[in-house]
Amino acid sequence: MTRTETAVAWVLGLVAALGFALVPVIATWTLDDATYWLQLYIWILFFAQCASAWNIIGGFAGQYSFGHSAFLGLGAYTSSLLWLNLGLTPWLGMFVGGAVAAAAAGIVAYPCFRLRGAFFTLATIAFAEMLRVGLELSDTLFGIKIGGVSGLALPPKGSAPLIFQFGGKVGYAYAMLAILLATLGIVQLIKRSRMGYYLAAIADDEEAVASLGTSPWRVKLAALLISAFLTAIAGTFYAQLILFITPTRLISIDFSVQMVIMSVLGGLGTVLGPLYGAIVLVPVAEITRAIWGGSLQGVHLIIYGALLIATILYLPTGIEIHVRTGFKALVRRIAGLLDPAAGERTSSVPNRPVITLPEGEPLFVEADGWTRPPVLALTDVSRSFGGAVAVRELGFTVEPGEVVGLIGPNGAGKTTVFNLITGIVPVQAGRILFGDQDLRGLAPHQISRLGIARTFQIVKPFTRLSALENVMVAALPRYATHQAARAEAERCLAFVGLAHRVDAPADGLSTGERKRLELARALATRPRLLLMDEVSGGLDQQSVPGLVALMRKVKEQGISVLVIEHNLRIIGAVADRLVMLNLGERIREGEPETVLNDPHVIDIYVGGAVAVG
Amino acid sequence: MHELLQGALSGFLIGGVYGLIALGLNVIFGTIRVINFAQGSLLMVAMFVSYWLWALFGIHPYLSPIVSVPLLFALGYVVQDRLLTPLLARERTREPMSALLLTLGLALVLDNLALLFFHADFKTVVVPIGLAKLRWEGLIISTPRLVGLCTMAVVASLLYLFFTRTDLGRAIRAVGQDRQVARLLGIDDRRIYNVAFALGSALMGIAGAILAPFYYTHPAVGTTFILKAFVICVLGGLGSMPGAALGGLIVGVIEGVVGLYTQAAAAQVVLLGLFVLLLFVRPMGLLGVERR
Repeated sequence: MTRTETAVAWVLGLVAALGFALVPVIATWTLDDATYWLQLYIWILFFAQCASAWNIIGGFAGQYSFGHSAFLGLGAYTSSLLWLNLGLTPWLGMFVGGAVAAAAAGIVAYPCFRLRGAFFTLATIAFAEMLRVGLELSDTLFGIKIGGVSGLALPPKGSAPLIFQFGGKVGYAYAMLAILLATLGIVQLIKRSRMGYYLAAIADDEEAVASLGTSPWRVKLAALLISAFLTAIAGTFYAQLILFITPTRLISIDFSVQMVIMSVLGGLGTVLGPLYGAIVLVPVAEITRAIWGGSLQGVHLIIYGALLIATILYLPTGIEIHVRTGFKALVRRIAGLLDPAAGERTSSVPNRPVITLPEGEPLFVEADGWTRPPVLALTDVSRSFGGAVAVRELGFTVEPGEVVGLIGPNGAGKTTVFNLITGIVPVQAGRILFGDQDLRGLAPHQISRLGIARTFQIVKPFTRLSALENVMVAALPRYATHQAARAEAERCLAFVGLAHRVDAPADGLSTGERKRLELARALATRPRLLLMDEVSGGLDQQSVPGLVALMRKVKEQGISVLVIEHNLRIIGAVADRLVMLNLGERIREGEPETVLNDPHVIDIYVGGAVAVG
Repeated sequence: MHELLQGALSGFLIGGVYGLIALGLNVIFGTIRVINFAQGSLLMVAMFVSYWLWALFGIHPYLSPIVSVPLLFALGYVVQDRLLTPLLARERTREPMSALLLTLGLALVLDNLALLFFHADFKTVVVPIGLAKLRWEGLIISTPRLVGLCTMAVVASLLYLFFTRTDLGRAIRAVGQDRQVARLLGIDDRRIYNVAFALGSALMGIAGAILAPFYYTHPAVGTTFILKAFVICVLGGLGSMPGAALGGLIVGVIEGVVGLYTQAAAAQVVLLGLFVLLLFVRPMGLLGVERR
């Protein structure tokens, strides 16, 4: 952007924000039925708050909660009970409510986030329903009146801002606006921080994140705690606004679902998306209510449901990106009017300089904290799935700086060996040592931090991130600042020959480039042992020599390599030693020449038919 | 003791219907790996079909599957073919998480359309069997619930035969285990997905017919059952057919016994609490297997 464009963008943005913030004041001045419109405005802010909070776990981390109204309820009940019974002002009570909600969220999510798939979603609904029914059935809790199904009424005190009650709607509007602004600020901070990188990566592929040294479980849990906390704050606001809370109304599937829909329509994982979603959808509910009144309930939910389906199918990124593009176009047009010469100058802005790695300079130096690899030793390792034995009493070693090839027909257990070493699949029997460190019982991210990195058979770049950001996910855990991590990531990209593609979105890369990107990502963890799964898989013949050269370069860095490869010509050229597996057992081991010319090995590779014939 | 037995028995009997609903969920999950949040809504649709067939034409609910099963089969087929397939094609490499959102949207639309057209009042099908009872050793056996349990047993057996003895059934299982390989073997995976979803949906036609004589018909009735079905599926093991049947019976018994001592709603709290506990202890369920 040129300077003019930046200035225009700031002015326009501030005008829009100010205009939005001044709605209550202007409405009060100009409208007769201002209260009605103010109420609508407040609901928009309220739902924007809820949806923004939901978006932290649902959008950024990709873990859908369908029971977020539970946190709304916990916030409302906690602050209200504290005020009714102890006289604590809801301004403070809402933080306690947030803490209570976060604690509850942590308990529910603790097991779920270790599991793959939809368990979290199911658990959140179950938790919300349990809480709702439980509250409906309890008139008292530890002797404190909570009102059961008829709920709690808060005595109105007129205009009493100190206890979070305002005489008119304007006060509530600005209280909610302030809370929402704080929340949006927090969301923006999260997006910019390392947590933002991790979350975006987790939403794409948790296994890959763990393999890069970050515990997805911890990041997801942190996101959920923040999300629950901020939802509970909205709950307190609701209690103070309505001065009457019931479990049936507050902890409803209706509320939970609205948060989901507003985030999805607005744009999952965006900062302002949930606000846009609320701006669009809250009036929809209001309009249907105005047209059909109370006689036809649920019309707005039909529209919401249909919009949810349509959004997921036809507009999966939500409206935020379109608002942003539209805004940019507007800015450019205005800037063009103000400063017609600007357009020409834009084109002459130089691109970011391409990073180069001087020929022969090592990627990692020992003085830099990198140490030489120890021996990887597997002893009698076994693993079965159900009744099927995948790996049986397997033993082999990878010596420091050695390239060992793992070969064998499909189903021989090669990838399972990788999954066992990296901790994705727990070892059932036997021992895996890396130096004198026993890897049994360690989580994938812990193993990564010991200096074992891997690439995947099916490349798994984080599609939402650029090439550089992909590698930064791997570099960030080891650096205090973004800058340092970025520098390291750039070096790794240069090492694999992707220096010119630094800012390319990962899903725009070719298969060969993705393979290189994945290698750069693995290297950015500073591995001492690198596990490479199917290097040539999915590649055309032209790309193969480049990758072979790259593997040699990795070896020259002093990194030990264990590689699975189907193409025996490649593996013969690269490996110092081969380990041949069949049906989970080691059947041959030795120099590539010897193993590849072994009649038994040829037999297995060429197939039983030849052996019989 | 007698009371306890009675509670357990009543629960065991209703567990048959629960199992049937969970079977539907698992047929879909086992193949497509999507948890269908609209399963309860499909059940609701089926119950309304049974209700209206009775209310308008006097057709006994037990005959309504003649209409409701093909109807729900078609509905499920269309939902998978038109809505889910395009979505799954986009998310091929990942767990199809946004399918959760899509089926949630579908549930919202179906439930609230029913609310719009049929209103929120509770409708009951009045047929003699609804209140019929058998007595055995001093225990009361509700006939329609017994019919439900027997139906579940028959349907589960037929499903078992279908999945193990027919080409189509085997193809569905193959696609469920490894879609890519199945496709390489010449199986039309898109059609299989459609059939699996349609089948899971059609089972709700049977469940609806079983429920109609002794349970109220209401736009939100699906929500009541879907939550139980989730608990059952996780208890039995997500995707496991015998798990669904067994889980249904267990949940029924727990509910029946807990319900003796407290209100029915409290039994639900206990059940959902157990569910959360289960996630800590054995998330793969009783009959589930760890997947590679």
